[in-house]
Amino acid sequence: MEHGNKVRVSVRNVTKVFKDKNRERPVLDNISFDIYDNEFLVLLGPGRCGKSVLLNIISGLMPATSGSITFDGKDVEAPDPEFGMVFQRTGLLPWLTVMDNVRFGPSMRNVDKSEQYSKAQYYIDMVGLTGFEKHYPYQLSGGMKQRVGIARAYANSPKVLIMDEPFGALDAQTRYNMENEVLSFAEKEKRSILFVTNNIEEALLLGDRIILLTACPASIKAIYDIPFKKPRDTMDQDFLELRKVISENTDLAL
Amino acid sequence: MSRVENHVESGKDPASKNSSIYAFVFRIAPFVSLFLLVFIWFAAAGDNNRIFPNPLIVLRKMIDMLFNPVAKATLLQHAGMSMLRVICGLGFAILIGIPLGVMIGWNGSVRATIGALFECIRPIPVLAWIPLIIMWFGIGEKAKVIMIFIGALTPIVVNSYTGIKFVPALYLDVGKMFNASTEKQLLMKIVLPAALPSIFAGIRNATSVAWMVVLASEMLAAKSGLGFLVYRGMEVFDISLVMAGMVSIGLAGAFLSFLTSFIERKVCPWNTGIKSE
Repeated sequence: MEHGNKVRVSVRNVTKVFKDKNRERPVLDNISFDIYDNEFLVLLGPGRCGKSVLLNIISGLMPATSGSITFDGKDVEAPDPEFGMVFQRTGLLPWLTVMDNVRFGPSMRNVDKSEQYSKAQYYIDMVGLTGFEKHYPYQLSGGMKQRVGIARAYANSPKVLIMDEPFGALDAQTRYNMENEVLSFAEKEKRSILFVTNNIEEALLLGDRIILLTACPASIKAIYDIPFKKPRDTMDQDFLELRKVISENTDLAL
Repeated sequence: MSRVENHVESGKDPASKNSSIYAFVFRIAPFVSLFLLVFIWFAAAGDNNRIFPNPLIVLRKMIDMLFNPVAKATLLQHAGMSMLRVICGLGFAILIGIPLGVMIGWNGSVRATIGALFECIRPIPVLAWIPLIIMWFGIGEKAKVIMIFIGALTPIVVNSYTGIKFVPALYLDVGKMFNASTEKQLLMKIVLPAALPSIFAGIRNATSVAWMVVLASEMLAAKSGLGFLVYRGMEVFDISLVMAGMVSIGLAGAFLSFLTSFIERKVCPWNTGIKSE
């Protein structure tokens, strides 16, 4: 457990209300939590409960109705390169090759060309896509696309990695493989990771802590410390026990 | 680290015997229909070849025109003249139409001003402009290029504009998340490439409009070009010349659209929806 560590991101009293024509739709209700240095924090909540909205607010893509986000003590108001994002629908740019997608972040910051390539190559190798550098996204399978998305996020050297249900669209087997790989990436490249999912087993496999959200409007229902050593066994008695506890505490999605 | 297989590239179905027969039928079907067309043409033409020349006569006429000039130019030179006019008019339309469409799509105040004006003028088809253009610019090369320009401009502007407007918000978020911080970076690195397939669709439409307009303008007044050839054939009642001109127009038009899809494939290799027409 890495809790003794310092706080990297603090989310304070974040509320978001969407205004349709004449009615207000609250999505997030007074959410506060911290992300510690190098911890793997999982946000677990039922489908369509505003998890993506919360991520967009934390990463600076969307303003909160009220509340604040600070990163290392500074307010986050615009998209901050200290955050790396792995998007739910991969968000690979279809006109760029795997290599160009992965080095996109550094290239926008005008990092030295050879450094862009060596860094991108390092992360392409890490996610196991060596040899696919010149492929376009349409030539890749779903799992491979999300590997590129992960490599792209790491290559931007973020201090905090945000993963928005990255494996939601994958088949069960691929998803299971990717979960294990994400663990090994996290082991290799120390980062704070904020991982969003609606899958309890995935949350329990990956998280150092799990923040359980309620159904819409989302607020924090419970926070669990997960004491098990990684990699974890899904058939372990304690694992199943905790899974049952969280499962019973989870709201049903509509 | 596990190395992943590329399912898309290695995913081939073992071809069964049945499907290979189908493949063969589909391969030869176009030639069969072409043969049928030529056969029916022969049959329909019959003996009255002055009024309805058969394919052989038309082909002979075309070969003859390759070497013996009609109105001081061989067939290829006439085709070249028509192409040159299209390339000039289309070139100007691309140079002006893409930036115009992009600005209308990207910038709200340009959309409200120039975009609105464009919407007012757009419904007037290019053929309706012809009298005005002739009165202002005469019937020379300048007038022809202007007609082609007007005809080609609309599809290019409209497609560039819609391409920009329908860039998925996700790509913009990706751009912002990965340090594309200025408007210019977002436009050049995200919005333009994302809109490129749509812009190219506009160019493809514009090419076929331009080809139509150049022929119309050459039939009105010209001393060269494929449209002129057809019109000359009508004037001297040489139906084999008219038909040879029509076939050449078809071939040259097909070449033009092949050329645009070729360029498109080079410029947007990721766009798998490109048809070779």
